[in-house]
Amino acid sequence: METILAQVFTGLSIASILLLVALGLAIIYGTTGVINLAHGEFVMLGAYCAWALQTFLGLGLIESLVPIFLITAAFGLLVERVVIRHLYRRPLDTILATWGIGVMAQQAIRLSVGGELRYVQMPTWLSESVSILGVQTSAFRVFVLLVAAALFALTWYLLLRTTFGMKLRAITQNAEVASCFGINSDRVYSLTFAYGTGLAGLAGALVSPLKSVSPEMGTHYVVDAFMVVVLGGVESLIGTVASSLILGELSGFLAFFANDTIAKALVLLAIVILIRFRPQGLFAARVRS
Amino acid sequence: MSRRTLIQIAVYGSFCLAIFIFPAIIQDDFILNKYARYLVLGILAMSLSLAWGYTGILNLGHAVFFGLGSYCMAMALKLRTVPVHTGPEGLPDFMVWNNVETLPWFWWPFHSLTFAIIAGVAVPVAFACLLGWFVFRGRVTGVYVAIITLAVLVVVNLLIIDQQRYTGGFNGITDLAQLELFGFTFDAYDSSSYYLIAVCMTVCLFLALAITKSKTGLILQAVRDHENRVRYFGYDVARFKIFAFAAAAGIAGVAGMLYTIVMEFASPTFLGVPLSLGVVIWCAVGGRQSLLGALIGAIVITGMQGALSESQIFLETWMLIMGFVFVLVVLFLPKGLAGAAEMVLKRVVAMSPRGSALLSRPLPPVAPSKHVKGAE
Repeated sequence: METILAQVFTGLSIASILLLVALGLAIIYGTTGVINLAHGEFVMLGAYCAWALQTFLGLGLIESLVPIFLITAAFGLLVERVVIRHLYRRPLDTILATWGIGVMAQQAIRLSVGGELRYVQMPTWLSESVSILGVQTSAFRVFVLLVAAALFALTWYLLLRTTFGMKLRAITQNAEVASCFGINSDRVYSLTFAYGTGLAGLAGALVSPLKSVSPEMGTHYVVDAFMVVVLGGVESLIGTVASSLILGELSGFLAFFANDTIAKALVLLAIVILIRFRPQGLFAARVRS
Repeated sequence: MSRRTLIQIAVYGSFCLAIFIFPAIIQDDFILNKYARYLVLGILAMSLSLAWGYTGILNLGHAVFFGLGSYCMAMALKLRTVPVHTGPEGLPDFMVWNNVETLPWFWWPFHSLTFAIIAGVAVPVAFACLLGWFVFRGRVTGVYVAIITLAVLVVVNLLIIDQQRYTGGFNGITDLAQLELFGFTFDAYDSSSYYLIAVCMTVCLFLALAITKSKTGLILQAVRDHENRVRYFGYDVARFKIFAFAAAAGIAGVAGMLYTIVMEFASPTFLGVPLSLGVVIWCAVGGRQSLLGALIGAIVITGMQGALSESQIFLETWMLIMGFVFVLVVLFLPKGLAGAAEMVLKRVVAMSPRGSALLSRPLPPVAPSKHVKGAE
């Protein structure tokens, strides 16, 4: 019984990290149709911000979360203004352009800070392990889970209960008619993109104590995040949560029997097979092709 | 054959001729090896152009076919190093270090070089057909294809690194014998392998050109431009896409095998995201809709990268600039440099008096059809 619970908690921890990284991506893709391959680099940026704030300003992780959100959101806004806004009608080219930006970001970090691994300190009051339902888990992982849930709740509230969210949903359904109603779609898109990338930065900051920080950490996260979005279906927040949970638990479960790599391969295989028979993902509001 | 095709064949032919004449000018074996390497990467970029520029399949994981081909050749060449780097029982050295008892079943057929060469093409093609069947029959398009191919690349890369006992893991398969075919020994630092690569490049280039000029090529381009219309015409779009995907995979496999010969080892970096990203960049900058454009793009960019590789700072800055150029090309020059060259050529032709007369010639009148009687 205890091993099963431990398994469930490991899966939940993986799922919460997946959710954190994928949430921003799902928002951006679901609402604007932009595939942001630089999403992993924003995660990396958030992690480096956490390291920089800790090393140069002595800020702990918790205190630096809000500045990190604002910094990465500002970068996202810049990227959107300069590059993405020309490419809304060309989805395949947004992939390429964002990948190019990702490469630039990676190289810029390498040139300025250096390519060695960096480490971020976990806040001391979260470093011990905690016993939940008889299972020992790291308190920090529980904290990440709670933050993921809180961010999801915040995003849900933003999207479904505020005026901004209503405008965003209107534009997603039909951008032209929405602008006839006086909604400034450019601004809404920019702010959405900034919010999505801000979330990515937060994800990077929260993940940074668990794994070391390097310029290449982004690519690994972007592939995982996209798998979550592809499986969960476009434009569905519930889909993102559900598929994070499924993929997290599946990875944890398979990794228990084999190892992490085999687990990843099997999960990918499962997704490819599922896509073949249900291309729109698990929860699709509409089919996207 | 149309005039444009003739011009294309002439240009491609003269390029290949130039490549063959090159060793007569440059005698240094080390430089020949470098350029041979660039040529192989050019073949790889050209294969991606076939899938992406002509069929519209954005394959972000194209390096996986390249890597599979290179590992096939590496396995065969490794087994030929008995007994120096492969023990007398026939076990490669890295397997001995990893306490593997007997040669795994999938290594056995690679004792035969013929099998290895066939496998170097067949394995990527088979993998492409399998993946293509899943992806294209499910009518997954554009964006999702890109993501899935990227994910497949990452997973295969991780798998090969993970299965260290059978694949050499992170270090790859090193200390290979030299390829011996038809009595020739292909030394990597000799003009023999350069000529081998040049021959393969010419064959692949003209094969790809033949595909694009055939009726199949026409349909592939139609699929790229408007998939649903092609479907309404009754064509099985998935089958054509799988064909293009597999053809590109096959050529990439050949390139992989040549790369093993030139580099004298095979490593998981051949299946890595940076290389795959690089191929996409070379193709985009060179001109994704032009086979020769992609090839030249790859040669130029890798050449410049090689020239700057003395200093780490230069190399990193070069990557930064490359990323920036890539973004610019995507935004403003979607057809890459080949497209820009074509635009310039058209302007030049239009400006000359004969050219402008040619371009503004009125089209012949269409004769009214006589048998549309029942259309009232």
